[in-house]
Amino acid sequence: MTDSKYFTTTKKGEIFELKAELNSDKKEKKKEAVKKVIASMTVGKDVSALFPDVVNCMQTDNLELKKLVYLYLMNYAKSQPDMAIMAVNTFVKDCEDPNPLIRALAVRTMGCIRVDKITEYLCEPLRKCLKDEDPYVRKTAAVCVAKLHDINAQLVEDQGFLDTLKDLISDSNPMVVANAVAALSEIAESHPNSNLLDLNPQSINKLLTALNECTEWGQIFILDCLANYTPRDDRESQSICERVTPRLSHANSAVVLSAVKVLMKFMEMLPKDLDYYGTLLKKLAPPLVTLLSAEPELQYVALRNINLIVQKRPEILKHEMKVFFVKYNDPIYVKLEKLDIMIRLASQANIAQVLAELKEYATEVDVDFVRKAVRAIGRCAIKVEQSAERCVSTLLDLIQTKVNYVVQEAIVVIKDIFRKYPNKYESVIATLCENLDSLDEPEARAAMIWIVGEYAERIDNADELLESFLEGFHDESTQVQLQLLTAIVKLFLKKPTETQELVQQVLSLATQDSDNPDLRDRGYIYWRLLSTDPVAAKEVVLAEKPLISEETDLIEPTLLEELICHIGTLASVYHKPPSAFVEGSRGVQHKRLPARAGSGESAESPDTVSTGGVSEAPPAVIPSQGDLLGDLLNLDLTPPTTTGPPPPTSSMQMGAMDLLGGGLDSLLGGDIGGSPAMGASFGAPPAVMPGSFNAPVSGGLSDLFDLGGGVGMPMGAYVPPKTVWLPAMKAKGLEISGTFARRSGVVQMEMTLTNKAMSVMGDFAIQFNRNSFGLAPAGPLQVLTPFTPNQSIEVTLPLNTVGPVMKMEPLNNLQVAVKNNIDVFYFSCQYPISMLFVEDGKMERQVFLATWKDIPNDNESQFQIKDCHLNSDAASNKLQGSNIFTIAKRTVDGQDMLYQSMKLTNGIWILAELKVQAGNPNYTISLKCRAPEVAQSVFQSYEAVLKN
Amino acid sequence: MISQIFILSSKGDHLIYKDFRGEAGSDAVTVFYEKVTALPGDQPPVVMSHGDLHFVHVRQGGLYCVATTAADSSPFTVIEFLNRLMALIKDYCGSLSEKSVRMNFALIYELLDEVVDYGYIQTTSSDVLKNFIQTEAVSSKPFSLFDLSNVGLFGAETQQSKVAPSSAATRPILSSRGEQGGKSEIFVDVIERLCVVIGSNGVVMKADVEGEIRVKCYMPSCSEMRIGLNEEFSIGKSQLRGYGAAVRVDECSFHQAVRLDEFDSHRILRVCPSQGEQTVMQYQLSDDLPSAPPFRLFPTVERDVGGRLLLYLKLRCDLPPKRSVLLQDATTTHTPLCQELSSPDQSAELQPHSRAVVWQIPRFPGGTQLSALFKLEVPGLSSASMLEVGPVGLSFELPKVTATGLQIRFLRLSPVQPGASQRWVRYVTHSDSYTIRI
Repeated sequence: MTDSKYFTTTKKGEIFELKAELNSDKKEKKKEAVKKVIASMTVGKDVSALFPDVVNCMQTDNLELKKLVYLYLMNYAKSQPDMAIMAVNTFVKDCEDPNPLIRALAVRTMGCIRVDKITEYLCEPLRKCLKDEDPYVRKTAAVCVAKLHDINAQLVEDQGFLDTLKDLISDSNPMVVANAVAALSEIAESHPNSNLLDLNPQSINKLLTALNECTEWGQIFILDCLANYTPRDDRESQSICERVTPRLSHANSAVVLSAVKVLMKFMEMLPKDLDYYGTLLKKLAPPLVTLLSAEPELQYVALRNINLIVQKRPEILKHEMKVFFVKYNDPIYVKLEKLDIMIRLASQANIAQVLAELKEYATEVDVDFVRKAVRAIGRCAIKVEQSAERCVSTLLDLIQTKVNYVVQEAIVVIKDIFRKYPNKYESVIATLCENLDSLDEPEARAAMIWIVGEYAERIDNADELLESFLEGFHDESTQVQLQLLTAIVKLFLKKPTETQELVQQVLSLATQDSDNPDLRDRGYIYWRLLSTDPVAAKEVVLAEKPLISEETDLIEPTLLEELICHIGTLASVYHKPPSAFVEGSRGVQHKRLPARAGSGESAESPDTVSTGGVSEAPPAVIPSQGDLLGDLLNLDLTPPTTTGPPPPTSSMQMGAMDLLGGGLDSLLGGDIGGSPAMGASFGAPPAVMPGSFNAPVSGGLSDLFDLGGGVGMPMGAYVPPKTVWLPAMKAKGLEISGTFARRSGVVQMEMTLTNKAMSVMGDFAIQFNRNSFGLAPAGPLQVLTPFTPNQSIEVTLPLNTVGPVMKMEPLNNLQVAVKNNIDVFYFSCQYPISMLFVEDGKMERQVFLATWKDIPNDNESQFQIKDCHLNSDAASNKLQGSNIFTIAKRTVDGQDMLYQSMKLTNGIWILAELKVQAGNPNYTISLKCRAPEVAQSVFQSYEAVLKN
Repeated sequence: MISQIFILSSKGDHLIYKDFRGEAGSDAVTVFYEKVTALPGDQPPVVMSHGDLHFVHVRQGGLYCVATTAADSSPFTVIEFLNRLMALIKDYCGSLSEKSVRMNFALIYELLDEVVDYGYIQTTSSDVLKNFIQTEAVSSKPFSLFDLSNVGLFGAETQQSKVAPSSAATRPILSSRGEQGGKSEIFVDVIERLCVVIGSNGVVMKADVEGEIRVKCYMPSCSEMRIGLNEEFSIGKSQLRGYGAAVRVDECSFHQAVRLDEFDSHRILRVCPSQGEQTVMQYQLSDDLPSAPPFRLFPTVERDVGGRLLLYLKLRCDLPPKRSVLLQDATTTHTPLCQELSSPDQSAELQPHSRAVVWQIPRFPGGTQLSALFKLEVPGLSSASMLEVGPVGLSFELPKVTATGLQIRFLRLSPVQPGASQRWVRYVTHSDSYTIRI
């Protein structure tokens, strides 16, 4: 008799038959019947109708049958909550069974029944089981606390289970310790600030002791928990490292990787001149190498992690180049990953070996792999200067094979080598030219044309070569056309006498016969340059080009640091921070490496020096959810005791402000409120000009069009018109309308208060609920008293962003409470997120490029801005007024692409690409940000700024 | 934290499905199968994601064993665990196949229940588990041709194994419970994988060995086993022991159940083997083989008058005489061929899609030499395209040989087993990747 027959019964009335069998007296028959039920359940049939009959079988002393019934219960209890209650009694009874297996089974199953009603019955048995004499029961109960917490967190806290769980960390049985640690770690993740896992030197010591005794899986829990601890000083860090190091030789690769994670993190704290630091570095290499002898799946995961480790600390594996050599039977995903690491490890010492390998790979069968290998040779040349010559000759050998895709790939990388080492390897040009006809990919053609143009003076028949391309000019892709145009102009500037005809031909092709505005514009510019001032043309077209470096594909340092903290997890495989793919509040905690102890270290660790403004890790925008309503009601509304004495002159200035503070501010650049009077009465610094005025739009790299960046009148920040926030009807006669503005770097809330009641108002105070960006009043709300009926006053409240933070929905929602002598009123309003864009939000060009690449595509959002009739320069000007900075502008196919950056007060960078097509009133905007939640609000700001 | 575990047949049938945390619906199974089958090629990515759910899977015995997770958990842990789970199922059910899983689903559910709780892995040791598992395994027929495709010699996975597995190696560990007459047997396998690259000039560029000692135990009452290795066994570069030729490895790691108190002095491993299969020791050696690599190739690549590519391969086996091997060898090149082989029981064919000539040699006695001549029609043959020929990859299996020279001196069981117990020590060396460049 085998179980497989259970899968084959498909007769009618099956449920009925099963019912009869379940109610049979014979134990064997019952068991068979339950098995059949479970078989049906597995294949997806609905057997929930049998619930009462199966539950009836629960009271049995046959453990095998009991387990089967429990299995069924776990699956269907959720859909039959009322029925599940029927089972409770048996559970409670089983929890007191003399057999520990049954006690544990009952507690385990009860926790898996995710029915709210059952939880209250669970508490008592669980409490007993947590103190059970049998460790098997205790370890099961420890996990059960985590289960219960997921269903009803409050209950777990109220019942004090968390404290019992903490006690279990000191349990004598390592299995219990491991499960308690796992459960606590998970619970702690949902309470980031609770300090639940109270890690201190004593508890760490306990964990380290348990580490030696528990199962391999328990060791993983404990190591992962250790990785969250930050030692107090380098000595403690070293002692932990010493005790973790033996795990590196464990046979289970997951244990090894968790140990590597702990070591990589704590190593950060050790002074580099310490002997132990060197010893540790040496010890890390062999286990990493061992990982590569595992199954391909594990190898792949290991390689992704090694890729990170190599970027952080290349010294660990610098002598192990050979293990990354590709085997012919490796799966392709392993091959490509190995290739990447080989390049990262390439240095002067091993470059000969690497090149020999790469050359072999370049003759393999797999096209993708071959292409990548050829590219890798080029990257080697750029990375290790001494090897460049050998790389070039290797590439030449490969070109000799005449294999089409190899040749094309080789030409593309040789172009890069020429860029890096100008005027060094021109001797190979002749060989390249021989292959002109076989190139059919645009990238290779463009590269070849670039080479011919760049070195036109040394190629005797450069004009013939370029002419041959010119024949099919209109069939080429834009990339090739543009390159050809530039190359011929270069040629002309170098050999003006023979090539006049050619240049005229290409200029007319580009300007008259082409409908590509990009090409046409470039053609015209060249034409005019050439006809008006050939010297200037020479300076522009033959300008010296900036060098390229190999570092472009590195992971950005802050991201790398975060990923190092996540070694061995999914994040390290995707090379994305966990917040990018884990849902909910859990993923948002950003882990960082601890700071190194001791002084004078920073200079010698260039790998930790971060670039530009991105060095700060994006702070956690959105901490865990809080109790929204409760917070608002608990607002402490006692007016500040130290309200500055209202200036006696203020009534007069109020009048003045009324005149000025109207709706015209959005048009004027400077702050109209910048009159000294207002500055005096409200403590706002006088505004002169938006700070952004000074930021020039950066010049172009090589593209002429970059020069045209907007130089015009900067405009002021956009201030939306005032809207009514609190209608008088709702606030016993007090009407508040207002808006937000950013004036000379200070965020302000500008309100008009109108007293529509019959009585005088006074004793004003204001408070904000916690909000997404920590906005809070920077001073008290100063309203001139007495505030008589039918009076209307303007109040400006400066804000700061150091208040408590909580994610709001929508993000830019602000809940405000205003109190006066009559009552407390609540309202909510939305601020344009643009007022949080700070003045130093202009990113370096390189940093922008790297960051743009680095942010995963999933974080990109695209929007349409309709009906906007500005050209790109005007738009760029306007946006700059609101601290949205244009970093570069590119024109492709008649579309202007503006690359823009902005930074929020909490340090979050937002990168944008704005596409403006001449004649088309609809703009397309793509936003990329590490915190994609802000995209919607940013888009709204764009729309508002551009349309006003 | 593991959210769900499911096992699918290669056709996508649900064999086992268990949800641990209620985070994802059971439609994840279908999503996974659609994803995995929609992929081009036969090398799916190790980790796949669908919304917030991440799939990690391994494929063994024609089954997909999949775990899902919704958190940022460790794929290492998951893959390692899935491999262990498959090994456990194999240990408990005798073999790993769609049939055995179907037959033992209740047992597997019971196993899963003990092995994972709320997504936390509890234990995968069969010793601990045997206290909890109630269900008896149902064994399929001990041997069928059908199973041959995925079980290699001694149960080791190889690329091409034509040898029937020992029927003893595929029997459920617990079936002896109750019926006392079952044979008590213990197998100690030394398995080495060879990874060699020989340059076109005949110089060995890289020679790595990865080895392991695997113990398969079907002994109900074995409390301790002592495995004696070569006395002159040494670890690391500097250490040398004894007077004989050293048996050296670079790195060594042990199963956590192994006690090493006699290892330093006498090279004895003390193990309390649990029922079923486990890897007791793993080791590796790079670039310092004690003997020459087992195969040498002398290739000649020429262009004949008719514009054909002539490929003359002379292959020598440098093993001591009287050892024979299974061999398969592949060269990368182009199109149609005619062939001359030195012996009738060999065969060769051209595989156009991988552009390779595959030459199969069923037996290759040590100390002998074989040769083959291939003539290939290559359209547009040029001197440069000669560069594209090669490399030659060899896959083979060498029974009774270890590349490092590691030997098991003795195998002692205590207490001394009553009745007939059988102890088997077996050696085998596989080619992991044996490449000879032309």
